[in-house]
Amino acid sequence: MRGRALRFSPVALLLLAGCTGTQSALDPAGKDASVLADLFWVLLIGATVLWLAVNGLFFYVTRIEPRSLSRRLAETLVIGGGIVFPFFLLSGLLAYALSIMPDQRLEGTGVQIRVTGEQWWWRVEYIPEPGAEPIVAANEIRLPVDHRTEIKLGADKFIHSFWIPALAGKMDMFPGRETRLAVEPTKVGVYRGQCAEFCGEAHALMAFQAVVMEQDEFAAWLEKERQDAVMPASDLARQGEAIFLEEGCGACHTVRGTEARGPAGPDLTHVGSRLSLGAAVLPSDREAFADWVRHTKRIKPGVKMPPYVHLSDEKLSALSAYLEGLK
Amino acid sequence: MAGTGKNEETKTLAEEADSLWLITFAGSIWAVHFLVCYCATAVICAKLGGDAAAILMLRLALGGVTLVALAGIAFVGWRSWLQWDFLDDGDYVHNLARKEDRHEFLGHASFLLSIISFIGVIYVSLPVLFLETCQ
Ligand code: HEC
Ligand SMILES: [Cu+2]
Repeated sequence: MRGRALRFSPVALLLLAGCTGTQSALDPAGKDASVLADLFWVLLIGATVLWLAVNGLFFYVTRIEPRSLSRRLAETLVIGGGIVFPFFLLSGLLAYALSIMPDQRLEGTGVQIRVTGEQWWWRVEYIPEPGAEPIVAANEIRLPVDHRTEIKLGADKFIHSFWIPALAGKMDMFPGRETRLAVEPTKVGVYRGQCAEFCGEAHALMAFQAVVMEQDEFAAWLEKERQDAVMPASDLARQGEAIFLEEGCGACHTVRGTEARGPAGPDLTHVGSRLSLGAAVLPSDREAFADWVRHTKRIKPGVKMPPYVHLSDEKLSALSAYLEGLK
Repeated sequence: MAGTGKNEETKTLAEEADSLWLITFAGSIWAVHFLVCYCATAVICAKLGGDAAAILMLRLALGGVTLVALAGIAFVGWRSWLQWDFLDDGDYVHNLARKEDRHEFLGHASFLLSIISFIGVIYVSLPVLFLETCQ
């Protein structure tokens, strides 16, 4: 018996470990997500108690007392257990679930973020105040801690869904229609978001990082994000910039402060400062940049960027040095 | 005789026509109540979604509609309870091919339908109580 209990506990621990991490609704780091996690536990415990009661009763009448009940008891069981009890239980749960909805929909203040679901990446724009020029970024969302931020959602051609499980519930993104969501992170850290509505071949590879920062750090970061791209710092990187323009990358990508002004792909002005690459499918280092540019199709089936297989190793490493330097 | 038996049956069926109607009422009230809530909310939210006064009016109006629906279902339930006539003979089972059984069966069934419709209407209306905006 003891041996069995001992063998059992590591398994239980492993199962519980599956509930933590950067993309878990059960390990909340935001106000809305923690309310939803509570809702989950209440429903789970309620369902477990009900399941045990129903099956326990079934066990009792078939195995422990397998004789017919008195008419009165049977009627009480059917009416009480079949109508009255479920009515009050379900009413309570429904009222509880409805009562948390208004707070989940409270609007955010301060810097607004507009996120557009593209194939298969995220266009991200920060709007410091209403009417201000948006600060364009991509594939990563930065948020100030302990502050409710309003996020406006849209989509390019297909329906996507925006979900950072550790911070809040999810919201669909539609072409031609604006939806909204507000998030209120309570813990500094890096969380993972994922497209939660099947949108095509690379749907599973459409993720992003949500970086929650101290409020003053966020303000400083946003100010930096607003600036044009830094000048290439080394000869290699300067070569890389020339190759970038030669190869026509600028037809799809914007690097503010250079001739590259293409709107079709992610803005690369500060791509070197992102934590990941290609909508969170690769880390963000020199090797990954080279890998991405040469093997886009292999890394992400269906991707809307051509693979640059013809680039020599030298050119590719220059290009990667340039991109990595775009902090 | 087979012929007269048949006539008899047609006659009692005609007499039961009223309670055949009775059995549809509770569920229909529930359905109409749902449609009214759904459509009114959709239209008001689409046209006047940001107007707090309009939404308050909508919630009050739907509250009124709900009370009317509940009263209607309660009335149907009361009529069916009388028709079932349970307290008189304590009949739960009505499986004989005779007039009384048919009559009480229809009452019994519409009584149970009234209960579920009553609960349905309450659940449909709960959001009106809790949600103060179109969000
Ligand atoms: C036809 C348009 C197009 C061209 C040309 C193009 N790209 Fe892209 N690029 C894209 C698209 C679209 C994505 C987003 C792909 C995805 O994640 O699904 C992308 C993604 C990227 C990313 C990842 C960005 C991020 O936020 O993680 C890098 C880096 C990049 N491209 C570099 C280049 C370089 C270097 C070139 C030229 C050698 C180039 N691209 C040419 C369309 C293009
Ligand atoms: Cu998607």
